[in-house]
Amino acid sequence: MNSNIFIIIIASAIFYGTPLFFAALGGIFTERSGVLNLGVEGTMLLGGVSGAWASQHVGGSAWFTVLMSIVIGMIAGGITSALLAFLCVTLKTNQTVAGLAITIFAGAVGLSSYFANIWGVSKSPVPRQIRRLDVFGLADTPIVGPIIFNQTILTYVSWVLVVLATVYLFRTRFGLQLRAVGESPQTADAMGINVVKYRYVHTILGGALAGIGGVFYSLAIVPTWVDGMTKGAGWIAIALVIFGFWRPSLTLLGAYLFGALQSLGSTLKARGVNISGDILDALPFVMTIVVLVLVSSRFAHRKLGAPAALGVPYEREER
Amino acid sequence: MGLETAVKMTGIVKKFPGVVANDHVNLEINFGEVHALLGENGAGKSTLSNILTGLYRQDDGIVEVGGTKVEFNSPRDALNAGIGMVHQHFRLVSTFTVAENVVLGESDSSLFMDQKAVAARVKELSDRYGLAVDPSARIWQLSVGEQQRVEILKVLYRGARVLILDEPTAVLTPIETTELFKTLRAMVAEGRTVIFISHKLDEVMAVSDRVTVLRGGRTVGTVNTRESSTRDLASLMVGRSVEFNRVVRKNPGDPNNVVLDVTNISANDDRGRQALQSVSLTVGVGEIVGIAGVAGNGQRELAEVISGMRSMTSGSISVQGENVQSGKARSAIAKGIAHVPEDRLHTGLASSHSVEDNLALKNYRTMSRFRILKRKSIRAQSTDLIERYDIKTPGSQTPVRLLSGGNVQKVLLAREFSALPKVLIAASPTRGLDVGAIETVRERLVQAADNGVGVLLISEDLDEIMSLADRILVMYEGRIVDEVPADGADRERIGLTMGGIKV
Amino acid sequence: MKSPIRLERRLEQPKWLNWAIPVISLVAALILGAIVLFATGKNPWDVYFRIFERGFAGTRALSGSLKTATPLAFTGLCAAVAFRMGLINIGGEGQLYMGAVGAAGIGIALDGQPTGVVVIAMCLAGMLCGGLYAAIVGVLRAKFNTNEIITSLMLNYIAGIFLSYLIYNSTSYWRDPVSKNFPAGKPIAERAEWNFFEFAGVKIPLAFFIAIIAAIAVWVLYKRTRFGFEVGVIADSPKAARYAGIRTSSTIILVLALSGALAGLGGAADVGNFRQLLDGKGLQMSGYGYTGIVVAALARLNPISTVVVAVLIGGLTNAGFALQGPDFPSGLVGTLQGLILFTAVAGEILIKYRIKANRRVATAVAA
Repeated sequence: MNSNIFIIIIASAIFYGTPLFFAALGGIFTERSGVLNLGVEGTMLLGGVSGAWASQHVGGSAWFTVLMSIVIGMIAGGITSALLAFLCVTLKTNQTVAGLAITIFAGAVGLSSYFANIWGVSKSPVPRQIRRLDVFGLADTPIVGPIIFNQTILTYVSWVLVVLATVYLFRTRFGLQLRAVGESPQTADAMGINVVKYRYVHTILGGALAGIGGVFYSLAIVPTWVDGMTKGAGWIAIALVIFGFWRPSLTLLGAYLFGALQSLGSTLKARGVNISGDILDALPFVMTIVVLVLVSSRFAHRKLGAPAALGVPYEREER
Repeated sequence: MGLETAVKMTGIVKKFPGVVANDHVNLEINFGEVHALLGENGAGKSTLSNILTGLYRQDDGIVEVGGTKVEFNSPRDALNAGIGMVHQHFRLVSTFTVAENVVLGESDSSLFMDQKAVAARVKELSDRYGLAVDPSARIWQLSVGEQQRVEILKVLYRGARVLILDEPTAVLTPIETTELFKTLRAMVAEGRTVIFISHKLDEVMAVSDRVTVLRGGRTVGTVNTRESSTRDLASLMVGRSVEFNRVVRKNPGDPNNVVLDVTNISANDDRGRQALQSVSLTVGVGEIVGIAGVAGNGQRELAEVISGMRSMTSGSISVQGENVQSGKARSAIAKGIAHVPEDRLHTGLASSHSVEDNLALKNYRTMSRFRILKRKSIRAQSTDLIERYDIKTPGSQTPVRLLSGGNVQKVLLAREFSALPKVLIAASPTRGLDVGAIETVRERLVQAADNGVGVLLISEDLDEIMSLADRILVMYEGRIVDEVPADGADRERIGLTMGGIKV
Repeated sequence: MKSPIRLERRLEQPKWLNWAIPVISLVAALILGAIVLFATGKNPWDVYFRIFERGFAGTRALSGSLKTATPLAFTGLCAAVAFRMGLINIGGEGQLYMGAVGAAGIGIALDGQPTGVVVIAMCLAGMLCGGLYAAIVGVLRAKFNTNEIITSLMLNYIAGIFLSYLIYNSTSYWRDPVSKNFPAGKPIAERAEWNFFEFAGVKIPLAFFIAIIAAIAVWVLYKRTRFGFEVGVIADSPKAARYAGIRTSSTIILVLALSGALAGLGGAADVGNFRQLLDGKGLQMSGYGYTGIVVAALARLNPISTVVVAVLIGGLTNAGFALQGPDFPSGLVGTLQGLILFTAVAGEILIKYRIKANRRVATAVAA
């Protein structure tokens, strides 16, 4: 029964959607502080290659190595985004161009490829991978088994993160202040909130989460490093933030939807169902444009919530 | 109480590129008083108060609160010292609720926000001081007066003992102003201190105990209100006795020879709410028609509709019988409507562009052949206008944002007047200018009217309107609610109609 | 927690900075790159020398570099034209693909026509397809206020998928029916291939000359025409544009269409001058559209400088890819391009702002 096509699709959707969610959650934090991070793709790749390196070089039990790989991927992502924060918040460069610069710099033909080459991680699959677990031994139960009890540790972490992130954003003092920074930095500043600090912290946090997403690719999805292995996942994550209306819960659902589309093509073909994979590939991008048009209309802002100050550098003593 | 003052600022100096905003300013505020800080625009009042509330750092000088020297690095430091400011331009997050705005930035509250407790405390404060507002309403749903109440609640919530209000009545109706004064008196009665920044003499006389006057970045005097008068304050403020006389016209306008005919126009504002409701008015050849009213009652939208920047939802506009197309600025320009907007640097001008480009902003199409611009013609026009209108600029190619306020306005006037318009809309034409520039602008307006231009003067400065206009129309909530001849106009009646009272 | 430096807007911008900054940016990027190389055990001198040699030294090197530089000149112009009005069009990549598709289609269809006719037809087709594709972004932005950054980006991916579909996943007009093992594009007729002109031993593609003409045309358009004036005013202040009666909506769409047309022209050039067929995989791997943004940034959006910078970056890119092998680090091309973009934008900041240290006012002792 568990080889039913729908169950496989849903289980795959969650699997492939997990790294998208991590990167998108990072994007939510960053954008809620008013910074548009277009460097996600490059950040994920750097996180991924760093995680791959760690998997090869950190000794110890499998669990420990995997954990360290994730941590190191996080750190790599955080450092990359710290650079973006410096450019956008302190130097006040155009956020789009800075993000693009990072993606080109760290991207498929950039630093991530360079490091992969130097560290020799592309020669063979990484030794310690993130594998699917068998939680409570329930992986074979009908329907829910493959979907819920047979996922990776990062998927379970992501479920916890959705709750934590939602509480943080909408129920805590810090979340309120973060949202104020993204909506109206002048107001936040006047109320004694350190706009610079919030932007730095949440941009770095965003990068760290994107780094984790990258590690998922190098350690779970395609365990042998290939240059540019994220194949645009970073860009999809940017689209996801919009698609999820900057709310963690909706973003999780969106991530699974996009994840489903990604794996749908090959799954169906293997079943002999002949649907053009290309249309499915293109769907996430088309859908994002549609959502973006909806969200951008002037009156939608109030209800659907793009942070008003997104993309605009903040200058204090302006005369 | 001792000899300590609530606030004492000594020898404050603050400079910005090209201007000394505060030049060794001294200020002493006693506990439990309403102290007015009076001065014209640009006298240094806002700068001084921004220093007191930690937004700016003074370049030199000492600030003392309750007798202790303080150094504020941020607004939070000032709040901790008990000083809270209600800004002229509200610092509110429009998508948040009242309660969320009030509690934003509070450092004592716990990690998780207790929505109920905050709402209760807000209600308690608003009842105590007569600041009625619904804690769960979102800011964009509130009126301007209600938003100001939220601003006041914000500082009261944090236990501010000294409240600074920066031009608080600029956005209020006369009735709301009276309510505000009651609130201030209530606060002072229980021991708080209020600093009231204004340039409005009547209000200063009405609500304050003492007044400190700033002029040109310096303190020129501190008086007890009871021992002073508007005349005294006015002369301290401008440095010479100021006469509120009506201007003498060479060619008084003819209201029956209509040049601008506006009939039943309605329009919406940027938020989609109705800003103009069936407004009708006429301007005759050589007439100066003044539009009086508190800012925010549709004046901006009126200027934008007539000049073609904004579409109307109904109604019609014509110039000497010729219809002007709705929402098409080119049509308005072609029919001879000129517009000097209140936002000079970002609406009336392209601020990073040169003086000559800006002077050609409306007629560049005539200075081109085969769609290619004739730079020589543009340069020649600019040189001519710079001389004729006495624009002080390093050169024809200097970016306009580098010019002083008065010269920026001269560029605008030069362009609009030299187009030989039939109708001129002047919105707040003298706001923010120094006294010399104000006189020049007013002379030019009168000159234009004497030459037959129909002038629509929109201004928040009632004295200006009473001095220059032939007829005065009052706008309130998007409607024309009163019309009086300016000669012998009853100021009190205008004040009432501005506040929505029917007379 | 205040930062130790702050930026103060300059009142006047010294003219010499305008050309000094790009040069300094380039040098700074190379220095940073050298640090990365050195820190990872490579010899920067050696690497840079080999890049210079392979990219610029000698007629063969220059000819190869011009091949890469030509599409970059077009995508650079594409980015510059849009950026000049404050529109961030990162869709040059997709617009180039669509231009290539259009041009290849015409090139195949006009089998047997004289070269001149085919060249012109291919150029027009490229411009039309690229321009229309970019106009979508323009319409969404002008009419629905939709962020052009994201829409142009999404359209890049859609165009890429379309390209793959034409060559790999269908039997379309563009696919070569007789290719042996691997799906490939149908070649255009031999007579349709664009010429090369030899000058001092260097083979200059026809398309390069077209790029120069395009650059001059853009320069004239922006500096001397009414349209250029209007674009400038809109970029400065959209409100002032509305005030002066300039039709902002249609200008946005036109500027983006022009931007896309230039990228599409680059696609036509790629098909006509270099690959002679629609190379789906090759185009996607080259990333001309994104690199074009680097070119435009370093050239400070000046059309003429864009062509010059395109040659520089073309040489660098060409050399970087050609040298890739066991003893030469991969990923150097992207790293250097990224570093150049960083330093170019940092340089922009220096032109507009002055860096000042935040003075610490002495804390007074409490009385």
